[in-house]
Amino acid sequence: MLKYVLRRALYSIPVLILASMLIFVLVREFGTDPARARCGVSRDKQCIPRVEKELGLDQALPVQYVDYMTEFVQGHWGDSQRTGQSVDDSIRRALWDTTQLAFWAVLLSGGIAVAIGVYSASKPYSPGDYAFTGLAFAGLALPTFWLGLIMIQYFTYELQRWTGSADVIFRSIPFAEGPQNATQYFQELALPVFVLSVQLIAGWSRYQRSSMLEELNSDYIRTARAKGLPRRRVIWKHGLRNSLSALVTVMAIDVGALFGGLIITERVFSRPGMGTLLLSALQNGDTNILLPWMLVTGMFIIVFNLIADVMYGVLDPRVRVA
Amino acid sequence: MIAGLRTRGLVAVVALVSVAAIVSAAPLGASNQARVRQQSSGDTLLIAAEQELATANWISSSAGSSWGVWELGVHTLPQAFTVTPAGAYEPGAVLAGEPTLTEGSPQVVSYPINPDAVWSDGTPITSADFEYLWKQISTGKDIYDATGYKSITSVDTTDPKTAVVTFSEPYAAWKDLFGGFYFLVPSHLLEGKSLNKAMKDGYAFSGGPWKLDGGKAGWKKTKSITLVPNDAYWGTKPSISKVTFQFIVDSAAETKAVATGQVLAGYPQPQEGILDEFDKVSDLQYIVDFGNVYEGFWLNAAKFPLNSQAVRQALMAATDRQAIIDSIVKPAVREGKVLQSFVMPIFPAYYTPAFADAGYGPTADLDKVDALMTGDGWAKGSDGIWAKNGKKATLQIQTTAGNEARELTEELWQSQLQTAGFELTIKNPSSDVLFGVNGPKGKFQVGLYAQVGTPDPGLCITFCSKNIPSKKNGFVGQNWTRSSDPAIDEAWGAVDVTLDTEARATAAKTGQAALADYLVSIPLYQKPNVFVWNKAKISGPLEDNPTLGPFYNMNLWTLAG
Repeated sequence: MLKYVLRRALYSIPVLILASMLIFVLVREFGTDPARARCGVSRDKQCIPRVEKELGLDQALPVQYVDYMTEFVQGHWGDSQRTGQSVDDSIRRALWDTTQLAFWAVLLSGGIAVAIGVYSASKPYSPGDYAFTGLAFAGLALPTFWLGLIMIQYFTYELQRWTGSADVIFRSIPFAEGPQNATQYFQELALPVFVLSVQLIAGWSRYQRSSMLEELNSDYIRTARAKGLPRRRVIWKHGLRNSLSALVTVMAIDVGALFGGLIITERVFSRPGMGTLLLSALQNGDTNILLPWMLVTGMFIIVFNLIADVMYGVLDPRVRVA
Repeated sequence: MIAGLRTRGLVAVVALVSVAAIVSAAPLGASNQARVRQQSSGDTLLIAAEQELATANWISSSAGSSWGVWELGVHTLPQAFTVTPAGAYEPGAVLAGEPTLTEGSPQVVSYPINPDAVWSDGTPITSADFEYLWKQISTGKDIYDATGYKSITSVDTTDPKTAVVTFSEPYAAWKDLFGGFYFLVPSHLLEGKSLNKAMKDGYAFSGGPWKLDGGKAGWKKTKSITLVPNDAYWGTKPSISKVTFQFIVDSAAETKAVATGQVLAGYPQPQEGILDEFDKVSDLQYIVDFGNVYEGFWLNAAKFPLNSQAVRQALMAATDRQAIIDSIVKPAVREGKVLQSFVMPIFPAYYTPAFADAGYGPTADLDKVDALMTGDGWAKGSDGIWAKNGKKATLQIQTTAGNEARELTEELWQSQLQTAGFELTIKNPSSDVLFGVNGPKGKFQVGLYAQVGTPDPGLCITFCSKNIPSKKNGFVGQNWTRSSDPAIDEAWGAVDVTLDTEARATAAKTGQAALADYLVSIPLYQKPNVFVWNKAKISGPLEDNPTLGPFYNMNLWTLAG
């Protein structure tokens, strides 16, 4: 197992390098000129040539790439080309915010998706199954931004008016000084976590249902039931355990992508996470933020893919890799 | 089996550690209840800020952000001149009175410093601080704008309470110096240090009514800026114990945050229905104001057919600007007026409705279009489009992609021009391409974007021929329309060097008339501002100041408990 993990980790390095080259070239060649972005409002006629020299933009592209990556691997991520603020501080702050959102959404969604999947599979084509299927399709079809705005309208604004409360119950923006206790933490995260969870639950519950149905129709399940084992035990101990591998694989891949993919949710709820950081960097042509951003999110995707493979083996010893 | 248990154990440990790490971000404890009450009880004024400043080094090329001035600069650092809500310059609190201007060669300005003016550490504000700022701007690298400062030959600091500034040449916009986007800083703390390193992330010192709470810690990047009263301030000290500007980028989120009381004041971008939203909440009060940012069509006079003055004038006559305002501005703020100059009406000393005087009303005049075009040798083809020497009057317009209001404006104008006999196509790049490449390099025929007016009437930078960006000068220059007219150059050049206020006003009005005649740009409307606050919580002289922001006099506000 250890050899397998190490081998996978090593394979991911050239993937990351190739991806970084592609992003670097695309951003430099087709994105905002960082010198113009920084000097855009300056009336200093020498600003652009000076900044170009300072940022090494007057060098050939391969030279720029090598210089940049040399600094990057040594941990010198530099400063934002737009603001001069430290890049690793910016990414660390944004990553922490996104991690919290993703963590609670995955925890909530995983549990609910499994429960819905198990129910739907154990009572297929029942009214309950049809209801959950309809809700799942609706959840998949709903645009995130629309759902977010609706949640704010009804659970922040209308709920406050209806209860006549001076303070909102569910917040649409973070607390300015951060949540001071668990209640405030819940108030701040409830709506964005819910919005994020809707699509996750919708997709994952379908996977779980499908996988579980397949397991429940297997010979060994039929044998277990023929032997007189309680239905509940058959479903939860045997069926569920063996059906989880497919869902866990999908979940791990989705979770990896979450670290860079919460742009809309973060925008609607004004959260300063990785999505917000990406938007800002794109608007300003700030490659000093874009490149490490891409590398960090790429790393998460690769790591979680690796976790998916490992978990698959944990859940099903028959396919444990050598 | 054992390997499997070991692996499962490892996974369980990782999961538990992760949960513990996340949960620790939400501290539990009854002792925090008091802090919760304090946070929401009225000790802190929470304000929504649509933009976070890029840097607190105000002279850096990354600075120049209005929101930076509104949320930090104007509250913490002094300026020689400030701008009133009516758009007039007045001496800042750091001065003891009006500076003395000595015209002639050389021009000399004497700034009398308020004897009570001190920095937050008690050190007096002196002429040395003026000298320091001048040197940093005129000799520094990576400066936002050194215009004017390079015209200063010396700052005499013989008298610590009088800064005597001598110029090498007449500089009419002297009231913008040591102010505008810039602020005086404490030379005694910064001399010999890197100004950028010392200030870019915030600063502990202050020369205004407020200071950053905990110095640099008061600026929580991507989250908020928190200010507390500066006890050493010599003017009216704030009665509010803390003010926090929370960064809320999304306008819809900001509107809801104000409407629900999550913040107590805001300055949101107007959008359709915003006033209806605020009207539903009885505790909210708002002001709609028209500030110094304006939208316009910008014509590239170097490109056919816009290289013909008659065509440009015809486009102006073909434009129903009132219809644009009725569709774009009024749905958001219920009012709006056609702009008739590039000097804003809020600066009455220099403003004249030059385009109205030149005969351009708020609506289209198709007879005028016909007269101008036929007089210039154009004739309408069978498709109804003007043509001359086999070439059609075809135009392309560019604006910032994704901006709904501007895209709607383009569509309206396209329809209006079609009626008048012009063919307009729309192709919108991203803002960085429009402002970073196409504008400076002249890769456009018509642009639709905003400009910011200033209390100083100088427009030479935008319209004088010497400011045309070219390959020769590295495409640096703000005259993107490539306007090149002796009357414009003369009038606006005179505005930049004439010190006498009346003569300057006359030159500015002459310059505005020249712009209305040469017609390289079509002014549309002043962008509205909406200042909204919770009147049950906040009281005091609340008003909009388009230059300094509506929060400029927060030290005079009171907050209900």
